[in-house]
Amino acid sequence: MSLPKMKTTEPLTAPDPPAGSWVSRLAWNFRHHPKRELWFAWWVMVIFYQLYGVLFFFVTRVQPPPSPAWDTPTVTQWFSDRHLGILAGFGVVFLITGMCAPMNALLAYSMRRMSVSRLFAYSYLIIYSLSAIPGMLVMAIAMTVAALRPDRDPELIHWLYDFAFLSFSGTMGVFMIGSLVWMVAILLDKNCVFPKWFGYLSLCNALTEVVVAPAWIFHRGAFAWNGAIAWWINMVVFVTYTGVFIVLLRKMIQREDFGAGPLPDLPDKGVADHSDAAEAVR
Amino acid sequence: MRRTDGELILFWTLPALAIIWASAFFLFPGFLHPMSPTMSAEEVAGFYRDETARIRYSMILFNWFGVGLIPVVILVAMQVRRMAHRTPILSYSLIACAGGPPTLFLIANMFWLLGSFRPERAPELTQLLNDLAWLTFTILVAYLIAQCLLLALAIYWDRQARPVFKPWVAHFNVLIAVALAPAAFTALASTGPLAWDGLLSFWVKNIAIAAWIIVMGIVLGQTIRQQRAQDRVAA
Amino acid sequence: MTNRAGSRPQLEEKLTKFVPGQPDMWMFVLFESLLFTGYFSVYLVSRTQNEELYLQSQAALDLRFGVFNTIALLLSSWAIARCVQASREGAYRSALINAFLTVSFGVVFLTSKVLEWVNEIQMGNTFTSDEFFQHYFFLTSIHCIHVLIGFIGLGVVVYQLWSPVRRSQQLVETGATYWHTVDFLWVLIFALLYVVR
Repeated sequence: MSLPKMKTTEPLTAPDPPAGSWVSRLAWNFRHHPKRELWFAWWVMVIFYQLYGVLFFFVTRVQPPPSPAWDTPTVTQWFSDRHLGILAGFGVVFLITGMCAPMNALLAYSMRRMSVSRLFAYSYLIIYSLSAIPGMLVMAIAMTVAALRPDRDPELIHWLYDFAFLSFSGTMGVFMIGSLVWMVAILLDKNCVFPKWFGYLSLCNALTEVVVAPAWIFHRGAFAWNGAIAWWINMVVFVTYTGVFIVLLRKMIQREDFGAGPLPDLPDKGVADHSDAAEAVR
Repeated sequence: MRRTDGELILFWTLPALAIIWASAFFLFPGFLHPMSPTMSAEEVAGFYRDETARIRYSMILFNWFGVGLIPVVILVAMQVRRMAHRTPILSYSLIACAGGPPTLFLIANMFWLLGSFRPERAPELTQLLNDLAWLTFTILVAYLIAQCLLLALAIYWDRQARPVFKPWVAHFNVLIAVALAPAAFTALASTGPLAWDGLLSFWVKNIAIAAWIIVMGIVLGQTIRQQRAQDRVAA
Repeated sequence: MTNRAGSRPQLEEKLTKFVPGQPDMWMFVLFESLLFTGYFSVYLVSRTQNEELYLQSQAALDLRFGVFNTIALLLSSWAIARCVQASREGAYRSALINAFLTVSFGVVFLTSKVLEWVNEIQMGNTFTSDEFFQHYFFLTSIHCIHVLIGFIGLGVVVYQLWSPVRRSQQLVETGATYWHTVDFLWVLIFALLYVVR
């Protein structure tokens, strides 16, 4: 896809935002903000991650993960404790899965803004688009089917339990390669879209996908799917990484000048407040 | 000069695809009328034993043409690219969504085919495969909802003298998204409109998908024709 | 890898003069060290819960391999330090030789590591044998992955030193920083797995 002509009829300096309630400001930003597409994608990402956390940890309560070492009766009991939570919670997950798309689009866009080839943006887009299927949806489907019929043969429920957790934690290659693609793009980038240390952090994140691989082998211990290393430490790295890139993407959008050269740094505080009139809601 | 060779050929696969999908839909004995989640394991096993041939051939047909809609979705994404947006974020989002529904559909398709492969299998196992198939088939609305809402948003934000799509197309997409939403919650009920054989999760969902294909097909065709006319004038 | 084109905040300017190589690499070093500290803590905690087993399994490790590995990596660190020194002085030929020397010692380390693994596996101690060997294979494998990444880093260093049009001192030092970290992590692993009994 070639660089678009500026086909917008909006002037680069939009009309001043109304100083009223946040509702009217939101409406104004929705209609006129020059970077609304980027902010839309960013907010979808933030809301998605909040919902994801709430749904997986509090509604369905499938995270933190239970043990692969449990016997079948314990597993069946675990499911019946969570019957409604799983069915309803994953129902919401099914409803909102599509929120991943603008999120991936924003990250692909960040690579498009870099000085590297478009190859990185497109590769990343495809890799992460399909990542949600083994990495989240298969778990949701397996858990839902397991909770669907409490009178199902317990051995089958136990199999679905394995299927769900292994697919969630153990399908790591996608995220690993995706992180590496982003990392290489960041390290080669001459437009300073992201700081280099974030590229190195992406390497840490990619390596956590290597660290989780033993989950396919062990039923107990630090390397099982609920283990101290394969889950807890990995989760800390993942949450840190995600928090960091959410903040960095915010900075990127604020700095964006829709050019093709190096992304300018944010101006100093005083100047920023003045030119931030158009960034009212943030 | 935009390269447009072949676009119309792929576009006209749409009616052919619609006919094939409709045929496979009617051929599969489990859609008319839809299998109930309350069927016991024996009943499900009986279904796969008695109707093995129809299940297999309809699902093979679906398997062949499962991804057939992707070129059309991409054509829509390319139209979004023409809109008065500053960034390609929305067309990227549509592309990110495009692979989701066919992948989920093919997984469901695979489970149905597996169920019919050894109909003499233990009934509980066949019921398990059947559950997996039906659930996956019903919840593939996940990406379709996003696709519709993203397209609607793209159209709302397309403020120019001659927008690519008219505003009613956006309203239509929002309506379809709302129609598809209940199907995500199909696991909560085994009878009634929310169950996977019920009014909302089966009939409304599938009719909504059919309506989207037909309406967007026509709108897309008209838009491409207009675009070609404009290109010719500009050239 | 790039040199920053735009203006940088003042703190970063100060940091760059303060630390060798990219300050970013030092953040990475910090994070990786924290991560490995986490792994070591898990190891130590599970060790206290099963001291008998760990002592027994540790006896199956050949200390000579461990010592040899440590010496190999220490020599490689020394080589990369000399490389940085030579590069600072502009003696690029010497720097390149030292860079290749670093790679060679790294390869020696890797080879001996693989031999050690084969040795252990032949004795019947695999990844799944017992808890100690779970940690042993995990820590040494993840370290080896870091060594392999280090080779890529050294590749960048060589690439920079090769042609006069490049030769970014910052990148050479960044690569060296990473390599030193790899060595540092190995010394910790060696101490933890082989020595502490």
